[in-house]
Amino acid sequence: MSYKANTGHPHATPNFRNLLIRPMWMTLKTALRTVPFVGKARFLKNDYHGQPTVMIDQTTMERVGPEHPSAGQKFAADRETSQVMPFVERPVTVMYPYERLEDLEPWLFVPGNYFGRIGIVWETCTSCKLCIRACPNDCLHMTTELRVDVLDLPDEDDEWHGYGSELEEGGYAAREKEEYDEIAVGFDLINAHADAPQQYDFAEVIEISGDKATVRWSDGSGIETVDSSSLKRAEQDIVSGQIDLGRCMFCGLCAEACPFESFFMTNEYDGMSGFSREELWMDASRTRLLPAVHQERVDMELAKRAEREEKKRSRKAARAEA
Amino acid sequence: MASSDWLDVNGWSESFSSWSMDSVHDALPSDDIDLQMTIPSTWAWPEPITIGPIFNMQEGFASMQPGLEAFMHATIMCTVVFTVLMLTMLAIPYIERKFIGRLMDRLGATTTLRSLWVGESGVTAGEWWKQLPFGMGTPIGWTVNLLNSIWGNSHELETISRVNNRSYHGYWFLLPGFFQAFADFLKFASKEHIVPKNADKVVFEVAPVIIISTTVLVFAFIPFGPHIYAANSELSLIFMMAIFGVAPLGVFFAGWASNNKYALIGGMRSAAQLTAYEIPLLITVLGVAVLSGSFNIIEIVDFQMGQDEGNVWNIFLLPLGAALFLITMIAEVERIPFDMPEAEAELVEGWWTEYGGIRWGLMFAAEYMRSYAACILFALFFLGGWEAPFQHTLSGLPTVGGTFEAVFAATPGLVWLLIKAWLMFAVFVWIRASLHRVRTDQILEFGWRWLLPLSLVNLVVAIILRLEFWTGQPWELWVPAALSLAALALFVILAIDEDEEALQAQRRPYSTQAVVKASPGSHRD
Repeated sequence: MSYKANTGHPHATPNFRNLLIRPMWMTLKTALRTVPFVGKARFLKNDYHGQPTVMIDQTTMERVGPEHPSAGQKFAADRETSQVMPFVERPVTVMYPYERLEDLEPWLFVPGNYFGRIGIVWETCTSCKLCIRACPNDCLHMTTELRVDVLDLPDEDDEWHGYGSELEEGGYAAREKEEYDEIAVGFDLINAHADAPQQYDFAEVIEISGDKATVRWSDGSGIETVDSSSLKRAEQDIVSGQIDLGRCMFCGLCAEACPFESFFMTNEYDGMSGFSREELWMDASRTRLLPAVHQERVDMELAKRAEREEKKRSRKAARAEA
Repeated sequence: MASSDWLDVNGWSESFSSWSMDSVHDALPSDDIDLQMTIPSTWAWPEPITIGPIFNMQEGFASMQPGLEAFMHATIMCTVVFTVLMLTMLAIPYIERKFIGRLMDRLGATTTLRSLWVGESGVTAGEWWKQLPFGMGTPIGWTVNLLNSIWGNSHELETISRVNNRSYHGYWFLLPGFFQAFADFLKFASKEHIVPKNADKVVFEVAPVIIISTTVLVFAFIPFGPHIYAANSELSLIFMMAIFGVAPLGVFFAGWASNNKYALIGGMRSAAQLTAYEIPLLITVLGVAVLSGSFNIIEIVDFQMGQDEGNVWNIFLLPLGAALFLITMIAEVERIPFDMPEAEAELVEGWWTEYGGIRWGLMFAAEYMRSYAACILFALFFLGGWEAPFQHTLSGLPTVGGTFEAVFAATPGLVWLLIKAWLMFAVFVWIRASLHRVRTDQILEFGWRWLLPLSLVNLVVAIILRLEFWTGQPWELWVPAALSLAALALFVILAIDEDEEALQAQRRPYSTQAVVKASPGSHRD
């Protein structure tokens, strides 16, 4: 039964295995997973491309927290189904967003490499507009955002450390919020329909004298003189920050077009709905992707830039000598 | 030696018939009854004329008695078989609903007896009953309200759960979902009968009759046990297969008479499909008959279980035949993946689009009856019928053999047959949940290019087994072992048919995945 068929993938070849055995085995696995005790067996779990999926990871645990009703519980209270044998019948409706499949039944949740919400690492964006040109539906828009100069952020032993620019008068500065960790812990990303809290306070630098800097905070808390070592350089830049999600068809061309490792299609599936078209305009804070999410790509990009910066400085130094 | 168990319904019916007819015989007066009348002779007739009979009622009855006994016996057995069929078939839609629920990780139907009286927001079906004219339904309404007040929902969340089909509102031992069949029947029975305006009305009405009656007739030849059958003719296999093949004709009638393009396409597809699977099916069954040396279904079962006969289930001797029988039977009963005649996605239920009400309900029941018959036939032909699995081996075990023997003696063959048939139906459901519907040209190609040659191969295997290896003694162990292992090896070879190199070439690294979600605190500085 194995005639040659150019289907492009060995799992799509119409042979006995793919047409009969695999589908039968897949449904049988689903059925066996509903059996008490047997359903927990390792071989019944769905892996993703042969790699084990661990969905209750540290981040999820931190996100839902010990107080969350679904934490440490296999089923929510009303998923227990009969008084005598709670495991015999089992409903499957997940009351998203109050319950989430990856929290309740991680063995059913397969993280896909699907295109979910668009995520942009502002810090490496160069506003080259390639993504906007690539977008067939015209749903990307540039916005002006304040962002931290990431070249200043890395540890001292990183090879690209020290290539960030100095604070300048008239420029911008950023200071990490001291109470940020508390805010982050208290913020319920699931139920609070609000933007993630800012990690930095941004300020306009008015004057620099020695190691003191006088800044005007953007949040309106006035003018203050602080140690310039506590400040990081920030820039006000145009980034590809805004999406009309109502027009987006998740083709991913924008992410392919980005040469600076800053435009990504994430596999996050929530936070993409709204009650009006206006709500589908995802502003910059909702498309923002923290550098940590794609740290390797960001590091690659930073190394590239540091190299460029190094060359530039050495050229400048040579010119100054000459 | 014919197989037997203690549930000798046939014998009981026979002896009851003859006992009751004997009682009637004995109750009749034994004296001659003289109704003769003699007309004395006159000038017109010199001899006196005697007219009228002298008869003995017992003698007269005795001449009719065998016929009456046979009629009574047949009536009882038909009733018994029909009752067994209808009662045990209740499990079939239940298995369908609940097992497919498991296969798709859904709940399935949850209707229980309790669903009849549980109302919403304090309003139960009792209010409906009370609205019937002349207060006819009032007692039922009171009962329903009473039951609801005792075993009703205690909280409105329960009702919401029930409406959303979210949590099972009852007790598992009430078989949630089992009573959905009754609810469906009530619905079908109470629906209006509509004949399309331009339909061929006679044929439209005749088609369900053909389908349903022939389907029920199939069970006349299907034994539910060594002693539970309506008819046991010498060639019951041939009769049964012939009747099994009539229903597609009714399907074609229905499709034609509905005057609906979907129905017509469905009927045409049914007729086209018929040629593709019916011939391989018959040849496969012929292989079973050849191997068993009989066209009688009970003898085919005896061949698989008899101590002095084969003693090996046919599935171990004809694994290919079993696979072919399964495939062609699924096509015969028009279930997924061969349900092109009714393909609900493209044909809107195909040939029965225009049927409604009790006709639709009964045809649906007939559909399930055919599936059930297919499952029972698989169990009879290949799974040893009413023999317990490894009955002789287990009974022959040194220490526990006696226990097994006692259990086997206490369990009527009907139980084993039903278990096997229901498991086979679970396989049908499993296939339905897993495979997609094939196209018309695909089933034709599959039927003619694969099923037909393979069924001939199966027939050849059966002939060789019968002529060369069959000695009239139980099979030597290596014969079924070799055949089963060969089939298993073929299965494994086909199952691991995967181009690993191409797969490796296709495998790509994860595309951009948010391994750590962008959330407060998830970044690192």
